[in-house]
Amino acid sequence: MRDSFSSATPILLAALGGTFTYYANVFNIAMEGMMLIGAFFGVLGSYLFQSWAIGMLFAVISGVVVALIFSAFALSLKTDEFLTGIGINMLALGGTTYLLRNIFEVKGAFISPRIESLPTWDIPILNQIPILSQILNYHPFIVYLAILLALLLEVIIFHTKFGLRLRATGEDPETTRSLGINPNKMKFTSILLSGILSSMAGTYLSLGYVTLFSENMSNGRGWISLAIIILVKGRPLGILLMSLLFGFFESVTFTLQNFNIPPQITSMLPYVITLVVLFLYSFNKNKEEK
Amino acid sequence: MKSLNKILTGIVGIALSFLAGAILIKLQGNSPIDAYRALFDYGLVSWFSLSSTLNNATPLILTGMAAAIAFSSNVVNLGEPGQLIVGALTAALLGYYLPIPGIIGIFVILIISGIVGGLYGGLAGVLKKYYKMDEFITTLMLNFIADYFTLYLATYPFLDKNSYVPATRMIKKEFFLPTINGINISFFIAIFMVFVSSFVVTYLKKGYEWRMMGYNYNFSKIGGCENEENLIWVMFYTGFLSGLAGALLILGGTQHRFTKGIGANYGWDGVMLAIVGGNGVVETSVFAIFFGFLKAGGIGMEFEVSIPSEFTMVLQAIIVLLVVATRSTISYYSDKIRASLKVQRVVKSSE
Repeated sequence: MRDSFSSATPILLAALGGTFTYYANVFNIAMEGMMLIGAFFGVLGSYLFQSWAIGMLFAVISGVVVALIFSAFALSLKTDEFLTGIGINMLALGGTTYLLRNIFEVKGAFISPRIESLPTWDIPILNQIPILSQILNYHPFIVYLAILLALLLEVIIFHTKFGLRLRATGEDPETTRSLGINPNKMKFTSILLSGILSSMAGTYLSLGYVTLFSENMSNGRGWISLAIIILVKGRPLGILLMSLLFGFFESVTFTLQNFNIPPQITSMLPYVITLVVLFLYSFNKNKEEK
Repeated sequence: MKSLNKILTGIVGIALSFLAGAILIKLQGNSPIDAYRALFDYGLVSWFSLSSTLNNATPLILTGMAAAIAFSSNVVNLGEPGQLIVGALTAALLGYYLPIPGIIGIFVILIISGIVGGLYGGLAGVLKKYYKMDEFITTLMLNFIADYFTLYLATYPFLDKNSYVPATRMIKKEFFLPTINGINISFFIAIFMVFVSSFVVTYLKKGYEWRMMGYNYNFSKIGGCENEENLIWVMFYTGFLSGLAGALLILGGTQHRFTKGIGANYGWDGVMLAIVGGNGVVETSVFAIFFGFLKAGGIGMEFEVSIPSEFTMVLQAIIVLLVVATRSTISYYSDKIRASLKVQRVVKSSE
């Protein structure tokens, strides 16, 4: 159960970032790349200054930069969002591998005692409760942040002016423009937010979950996030539930490895589960329509 | 005219990317001129480098073409990496176990591997037709599944015990594809498939229906095309091409066995190539040869000026972004200018 929360967090954070772009009707498939870049720069910052906070800062800055690149192409140069996303993902994969070799002179993975991982939190009241404490306490703070954000997002998107404008931009940019809101600006904001959250998800991967950076360590989590967003139609609470479900299955895979099931088969599970969930969902929907 | 346009905007974008790449190399403290000279030396200048460019381009031609045909039919097949790897494993296993000798055996291997890749692609098509599952997500997930599953097969049931890394046994010598003057036969097979695909897309009724589906989904439906069935066929055909690419990697490559990471990034490169080539079959193949050149030359850059070969991956991504950006910017602003000229004309005539 404890592992479910830590496995769920990166997917949850990235998906929450993607919620903004989902409602602004930006087809954001760059989350995978943003995550990977965040993971790399988190490690870089933490390694250089031996401080997790600077690692975090590095990651967020990198997220902002990637978001700027994405917006420059997709919004200013009118490049197709889908293509921009694929380009950014390739840039992230090649770029981080390249930098890994260039800066740290290693191939594959970089581990160093100089990398400071994210601190875990001991929450005062929670540590008094026996079972809950074991599951929920002593996580890096990003885990709590992610859960809080999910609740907060539900409010922001459905009950604030910003949320309304965001959704309006996604629904009908031309009408929004006539009301004096710049749709491009709204889209830009959404990309920026998603960049920041995805890069934080990446930092969690490299500094919270483990303390290292390895090539392609995001390993499809960004895609799973996207699948979840599409599945629950962007509802933040739905995303929270689905992420926990995936986190649960991911932690089950670790347990299964203790039972002599080959790791390749267990690593396959999250993707198979995604397919199965999608299948059940479409299957039910089709039945309702008939 | 249109395809010339695609290639011209491509060249402008590539020139810009090389400029951006030069700045990056300079920032690293290396000389861009030395780096690019190494790139050309190892990718183009001698017959040896030219042939390694063409050999590198072989899988890219096929995966690029697969992505291009899918995209131009409005089918998002992002499953090339998975289809390629499934085809490669099939070829590796058949190459070891198949009892049919020589040339016929090669044909059988190539065709069966292609079909397996096609079926793997077709699976996403079936899920779309009957359960309305977005092929965008399903092909992606199937990639990961193929990746882990083939690795499992190569690590456990079919492991070559003498190998240090997870790998299958080497295929029989008689199935090795020969090279002519350094160029592997597989390159010619890929080029042959370019002609086949061009023919299918341009002259066959099915190919016409695919393209119609890409232009206007509803129109083609009203026109009597079975869009959903065509979707499965597009998936199958493009999966076939990717599977074939995988099989050629085994039969025509250097290792002649299935190892971890054999698919490299060929599948994703194919997707990017289709984008750069504007979804044209021939244009994509031209750019595939260019990417093959980058790959061959990237090794040169690593040897001569010690720039990691991953740099070419960065360069490729920059090229994709800039080429597409150049194209869309030009068309956006030329449309705008044309529109404003038209408005002026209308205003003038009404005065």
